[in-house]
Amino acid sequence: MAFTLYSLLQAALLCVNAIAVLHEERFLKNIGWGTDQGIGGFGEEPGIKSQLMNLIRSVRTVMRVPLIIVNSIAIVLLLLFG
Amino acid sequence: MHSADAAAGTARQRKWPSKRRVPVSQPGMGDPHQLFDDTSSAQSRGYGAQRAAGGLGYPAAAASPQATFLDDPMSNVAMAYGSSLAAHGKELVDKNINRFIPVTKLKYYFAVDTMYVGRKLGLLFFPYLHQDWEVQYQQDTPVAPRFDINAPDLYIPAMAFITYVLVAGLALGTQDRFSPDILGLQASSALAWLTLEVVAILLSLYLVTVNTDLTTIDLVAFLGYKYVGMIGGVLMGLLFGKIGYYLVLGWCCVSIFVFMIRTLRLKILAEAAAEGVPVRGARNQLRMYLTMAVAAAQPLLMYWLTFHLVR
Repeated sequence: MAFTLYSLLQAALLCVNAIAVLHEERFLKNIGWGTDQGIGGFGEEPGIKSQLMNLIRSVRTVMRVPLIIVNSIAIVLLLLFG
Repeated sequence: MHSADAAAGTARQRKWPSKRRVPVSQPGMGDPHQLFDDTSSAQSRGYGAQRAAGGLGYPAAAASPQATFLDDPMSNVAMAYGSSLAAHGKELVDKNINRFIPVTKLKYYFAVDTMYVGRKLGLLFFPYLHQDWEVQYQQDTPVAPRFDINAPDLYIPAMAFITYVLVAGLALGTQDRFSPDILGLQASSALAWLTLEVVAILLSLYLVTVNTDLTTIDLVAFLGYKYVGMIGGVLMGLLFGKIGYYLVLGWCCVSIFVFMIRTLRLKILAEAAAEGVPVRGARNQLRMYLTMAVAAAQPLLMYWLTFHLVR
């Protein structure tokens, strides 16, 4: 079973790309996962859905620039070494 | 002047061999572009004595004209500079290593002794009679594993991981399926599964908003305890065939399941478990499900990582 660390890195990169690609206006708002629809008051329990929405929003803001860099590196490496 | 030149050439060569300038050529010298003394033939010995001053590099400097070479003030300055550079580099590494690898925190996890290891291994194989699973604290910091059997450590998981890779190689070797790169593949695969587990558990802990003091290293330690059961299973499988493998693996799976539930219950379900109250309420139920899921993943992974080793 060739489940190596490198394939794990590739899978992680693809997953983070998938999260970063979700469009705020066209998609997330339409299924009720927009960032302004989540913050439901100052209760104690955020709940899983609002945690997820928070996670998506933070991935989209924080990882935007690093993802560009890491994706470029991955593209170059894949072109060179297959 | 020539020896000063040569010594400066030597000092420069030691650090930047690619920018080496051709030393002042003497008559009767060997190849001037050599970096190291060619001791393959006897005649280069003659050159070695002359060439040491001509600057070949470190190995030649240890040869015969050592006294005159080291007496030279230029070489003293060069050596002092070199050693101060090395000291500076070491200081830089020491200062910054704590930023990338928390060395002081890791030392806590390796503060074990033989009795602790023995008792912990016994606990991993037979956790049913152990009553008190709380980690003792000593003024806000948890006690070192040496003094408390419930504290997580990284020694057993690390050793068990390495032993698992070796035992996997042994098992594959008895079936004529061994080649050296398989060891690397097994190690990489097991490490990848471990990383995946840690990331999945951290993600689910974040989603369920558990306020726990379970650090990442603690989690790695707990997840590394299953390698002990895996080793036991594979060794029994080597000795007694499939029946032995399934028996011992089944026993170890149940033990690890109980061990993980009892340990994680105290970390994840802290408030409810401390009083011994059975869990109610939606929030606690979710945490209980999470604990059960983590504990149930251990036997599955134990089977998945070892079944191809026992035929």
